[in-house]
Amino acid sequence: MWIEIAHFSTLIALMLAALLLIAPLIGVRWQRVVWIRVARQAAFMICALLTLASAGLIASFLNHDFSVKYVAEHASLKLPVFYLATAMWGGHEGSLLLWTWMLSLFVAIAAWKHWKTHPVSMPWVLSINGGLLLGFLLLVVFLSSPFERLLSPPADGRDLNPLLQDPGMVFHPPFLYMGYVGFAIPYAFAMAALITSQGDSEWILATRRWTLFSWAMLTIGIVFGAYWAYYELGWGGYWAWDPVENASFMPWLTGLAFLHSVMVQERRRMFKTWNLFLIITTFALSLLGTFLVRSGVLSSVHAFATDPGRGVYILIFMSALLLFSFGLLTAKSDQLRETPQLESPWSKEFSFLINNLFLVAGACTVLLGTLYPLAIETLSTAKVSVGAPYYNKVFIPIMLGMLALMGLGPLIPWQRASLAKLRQEFLPAGIIGLLGMVVAPLIGINHLSGAIATGLILFVGTTHLTDLLRNTKTRMSRESLTAPGAFLRLVTRNKRRYGGMLVHLGTLVMVAGFVGSGLFQEERDLFLAKGDSMRIGSWSLTLESMEKTARRNWQADEAVIRAERPGEATLTLRPQKRVYSENSQPTTEAAIHSSWREDLYVVLGDGVKDGVWAFRIYRTPLVAWIWVGSGIMVVGVFWAMLQGRRLQRRAP
Amino acid sequence: MKTLANKRLYLILTVLVVGGSLAALVFSSFTGALVYFHTPTEAVAKQRELDGKKIRVGGMVQAGSLAREAGTLKIRFLVTDGNAQIPVRYDGMVPDLFREGQGVVVEGTWKSGQDFSADTILAKHSEDYVPVEMSEQGIAKSKESLLKSLK
Repeated sequence: MWIEIAHFSTLIALMLAALLLIAPLIGVRWQRVVWIRVARQAAFMICALLTLASAGLIASFLNHDFSVKYVAEHASLKLPVFYLATAMWGGHEGSLLLWTWMLSLFVAIAAWKHWKTHPVSMPWVLSINGGLLLGFLLLVVFLSSPFERLLSPPADGRDLNPLLQDPGMVFHPPFLYMGYVGFAIPYAFAMAALITSQGDSEWILATRRWTLFSWAMLTIGIVFGAYWAYYELGWGGYWAWDPVENASFMPWLTGLAFLHSVMVQERRRMFKTWNLFLIITTFALSLLGTFLVRSGVLSSVHAFATDPGRGVYILIFMSALLLFSFGLLTAKSDQLRETPQLESPWSKEFSFLINNLFLVAGACTVLLGTLYPLAIETLSTAKVSVGAPYYNKVFIPIMLGMLALMGLGPLIPWQRASLAKLRQEFLPAGIIGLLGMVVAPLIGINHLSGAIATGLILFVGTTHLTDLLRNTKTRMSRESLTAPGAFLRLVTRNKRRYGGMLVHLGTLVMVAGFVGSGLFQEERDLFLAKGDSMRIGSWSLTLESMEKTARRNWQADEAVIRAERPGEATLTLRPQKRVYSENSQPTTEAAIHSSWREDLYVVLGDGVKDGVWAFRIYRTPLVAWIWVGSGIMVVGVFWAMLQGRRLQRRAP
Repeated sequence: MKTLANKRLYLILTVLVVGGSLAALVFSSFTGALVYFHTPTEAVAKQRELDGKKIRVGGMVQAGSLAREAGTLKIRFLVTDGNAQIPVRYDGMVPDLFREGQGVVVEGTWKSGQDFSADTILAKHSEDYVPVEMSEQGIAKSKESLLKSLK
């Protein structure tokens, strides 16, 4: 019953999406506002209908309606309610529906929020989003339908993959999708600006919050994924340069480039074409990310080819989007002449330019590494993989370069600066940074890149603090405030600037985490019998006993391990090896003790013979800093979002 | 006027140098980082050519071939595609889904006259990591494609 309601409302939404695509065009062509109003109502209706459709699919899960193929494949009677409800996005059909529902929600919000403020762009924004919704709904309805029924329903479903039965994995896709989908709105505004020949900065101001929001969601989604990989997959790491991770990382990089370069357009009226290029690229990469992950192309090009309808459709959709966007950009780029020009390499705009070069190079690196194997596999029979060393080799210098630029950020002025002034500004921070690089090896950071990163972290921290202190002092004297009062006034007056600086500080915390965990992880593989001990770092671990435990849909072997360290309370760690009853696939549950200094991470392997078990034990310094740092980043972005539309703008 | 032109040149040069060195970095790292996948049959046929190179070999762990050195995590097993077999050595903990008679991909180097020395073993589990394959269907599909590629 529910699934028919869901299916039916999706079909109506599909028709309304066609209306949403066409009605605004009619309205603009014959100057009839009523058609644009119709489109706006259609956008609201589509959102309501797809909400109903998603609810219907979730209801089918909750009712254990195994006559629905998608439910039978992704749930079972034993699956707990929480995972039943969220199994909706456990496979690609449902994920695509979730994606489309989010797009419809964002389009409705845009149609509501920007209706009065952006009357000229609105028809085009609606129409372009209508096209996107239509494209996705065609896919959902005809090629990747979660509504299919089974003629003979099974008594029980096949259960959700055990790896997905985890809160980290439940929240990872929705956040990622919110990030991907969110970029559709700025993209549509950018296209609308091009079509209506208003290539000026209005679209950037209009969509500032959208881009910040999308980028924050993408960040949360990526970090959730990394965190899940860290504690669920049992290999002690969090990032493997796997194509799926790469797919979400690319729009993150170009989105970050965009967030920086738009400031140049706002302030100095430069980089207009470049910003349009970046937003198109970011949205296209978001689509690519969705398709890469949700089409099956990654498991094998050949497996993908067994379902040619979907593959061809996705290729056509992507090509159409790219042709339309870049075609429009090329056709209209002559009216985007930039009057001011870069004046000096010692200017904020130039540092943003180099920052963009780094980020785009990073995105190209990932794109090459992700798509090259697919291309090779398609064009020849050879199969090839690109290993993590490639990415590490490229990304370590890129990250260091970005850090150096980040340090320049707050203190380098727009337009141009005299070298004498710069020397004076950066001398203290530079000295502290260099000292950091020299001292780092003495305190155990005996890696070149680690030492450079340490110095740069200090450099960036110093320039940011200098800026904060100086501006607080200015306010103290100018407005005769106390220090905390002045500081508060400062960071609440220009939320965008200080939100950005908070993001930078979060990044520093994260980089410290990367350095610690990437360069100083200790790993031991060994056997332990009951009563055996081992040492790792300052820890001493003893296998106390082996137990058996069970829950509703799994049973497990569990090791009880006592971990001790001088001067600290004794811990008990319980790593498990679970077998889920529905598909008898064993999964490891690592036991992790996390602290600000380091993580202790114990994985239980196979039992060899009479009570002897294999263990893999990691000691990873500073991993927790990555999660904390990303949290700080997200708070920073949200702080920046609170800034109203009217920014104090000085004449350039 | 001349100074302005000079400045532009200077700026463009900086951008080109930075961009160029980034591109050089990407491409120089890329060429060495490709790891080719071979079936045991191909690997045996091209063994001389592959000698000492990092490669991936995929197949089944031959039933009854898995042997463990007592008291260590060192294992030795045969990877087969039904046609050729390659002896593989590995020291460390194996992934959850590593079993005799199951699909496996090993990454490492094969020096002539020696066993293939694996630094990484990928069983189905690590491929599952890819959410699309997280459905049973996906696993079945990728297994199917593995079998197909083995034929």
